[in-house]
Amino acid sequence: MKLWWAALILSFGCFLPTFGEEESEARLLVSKNILNQYLVEGKDLTVEYKVFNVGGKVAFDVVLNDNSFPQSSFTPVSGSLKATWERITPNSNVTHAVILKPLKSGYFNFTSADVSYLTSEESKERTFGYSSFPGEGGIVPQREFDRRFSPHVLDWLVFAFMTLPSLGIPYLLWYSSKSKYDQPKPKKN
Amino acid sequence: MAKILGNFLLLLLFIVPTVIIFSEQGKMSNLAFAQDAMEGEDDEATVETEAGAEEEAVDEAPLTDQEEEEEDIQTLKPSPDADTFILFTKPNNPLELPAGKQVRILVGFTNKGNVDFNVESMEASFRYPQDYSFFLQNFTAMVFSTVIESHKQATFEYGFIPNEAFSSRPFGLSVTLNYKDAEGNVFQSAVFNETIQVVEPDEGLDGETFFLYVFLAAIIILLLVGVQQLVSNFGRKRMAKPRQPVEMGTQNSDVDYDWLPKETLQSLNKSPKRSPKPKQSPRQRRNLRSTGSGDD
Repeated sequence: MKLWWAALILSFGCFLPTFGEEESEARLLVSKNILNQYLVEGKDLTVEYKVFNVGGKVAFDVVLNDNSFPQSSFTPVSGSLKATWERITPNSNVTHAVILKPLKSGYFNFTSADVSYLTSEESKERTFGYSSFPGEGGIVPQREFDRRFSPHVLDWLVFAFMTLPSLGIPYLLWYSSKSKYDQPKPKKN
Repeated sequence: MAKILGNFLLLLLFIVPTVIIFSEQGKMSNLAFAQDAMEGEDDEATVETEAGAEEEAVDEAPLTDQEEEEEDIQTLKPSPDADTFILFTKPNNPLELPAGKQVRILVGFTNKGNVDFNVESMEASFRYPQDYSFFLQNFTAMVFSTVIESHKQATFEYGFIPNEAFSSRPFGLSVTLNYKDAEGNVFQSAVFNETIQVVEPDEGLDGETFFLYVFLAAIIILLLVGVQQLVSNFGRKRMAKPRQPVEMGTQNSDVDYDWLPKETLQSLNKSPKRSPKPKQSPRQRRNLRSTGSGDD
């Protein structure tokens, strides 16, 4: 009989820790990334936020707010720098993207966004967190970018025009002499 | 005297340009060397940080230093007030990492205590799975130095590329987070410390094999073109044989004269027998024939 009791207690003991794990609260990991390879002044820049709920419970009233883009250096093109989700279920993730336009060139330190949420429906206290940060990035001036990546159509046209005399004059000379000596040919036939 | 002076002037005229040229060359070479050195520096600067870490790992010399560090590290313990969590975002399964591809991880840090924490850096390394003090590849440490106030959370992102040479082997991957509290006590959490498998990335289309197939296709097309050329040549030769007698026919007498009036036919039959043969030279006749056939 004692053995039976021991077995029962043991089996309970095995179940207890798993109970504890299920009780874990919601926990959010927020990543912030800039998707552009080249950050160019005056061209669109995409910022992507990914929110992962790695906890065991639903996160409620998630507010993502990014104050790291000052009005003087960035203008929003589309999307909002503040996003809210009513609930994020465990083991799921949501993505939010904003398109901005940098107004100034030079180095800019991209810092983290703020996130706040309720770990469960009953909890009153909001949990505050920071997202990851991409770090410092250089914003290339528009002219520099064009110099490197534009098709240079006008430049090539000018080049063609400038090489025209050196190619055209010999051709004309050759053609004139050729036509001079070519005329008797049809008579032969 | 004047002759000597003239000779001297001539000599000077010869020597001065050569000296100038040589000195210029010397300067040029110096400049070139300087540029080379600069380029070398540039290359090192542009090399990805991970690549730099690989080089470090390849060097066997600083191994002893690393071991010393390791001994120091083992004395550091995680703070009871800090809670960390790791999530692999790029390959979802952390136990199988593709070689030569970027691996991205998110590390969550929660400050449960009442004092601020300063999260300084995060680093990852591949270790020998049987002996974790033996470093195989060290990845660049990311410096964050961000302050996390009490009861706040933060997420840190870290990325690294396992060396391509490391495919299909087990490694001990350890990711550590270094942080300090407000009083200056240094802590370290091993966020991830497990044996993982580096696998070969399963690419559908490898560049090398793709171009191999393109090359094979090109060879096949070339062969087909050659065969077609051969067949057409052979066929032309066969076709040409029956054609030749047809052309010869115009020169032979089996021409259809039915359409000509009988008088002209008779005159034609009569005239060549008597008159043209002795009068015309053979060369003229040949010319006439050739022009006639050309018109046809």
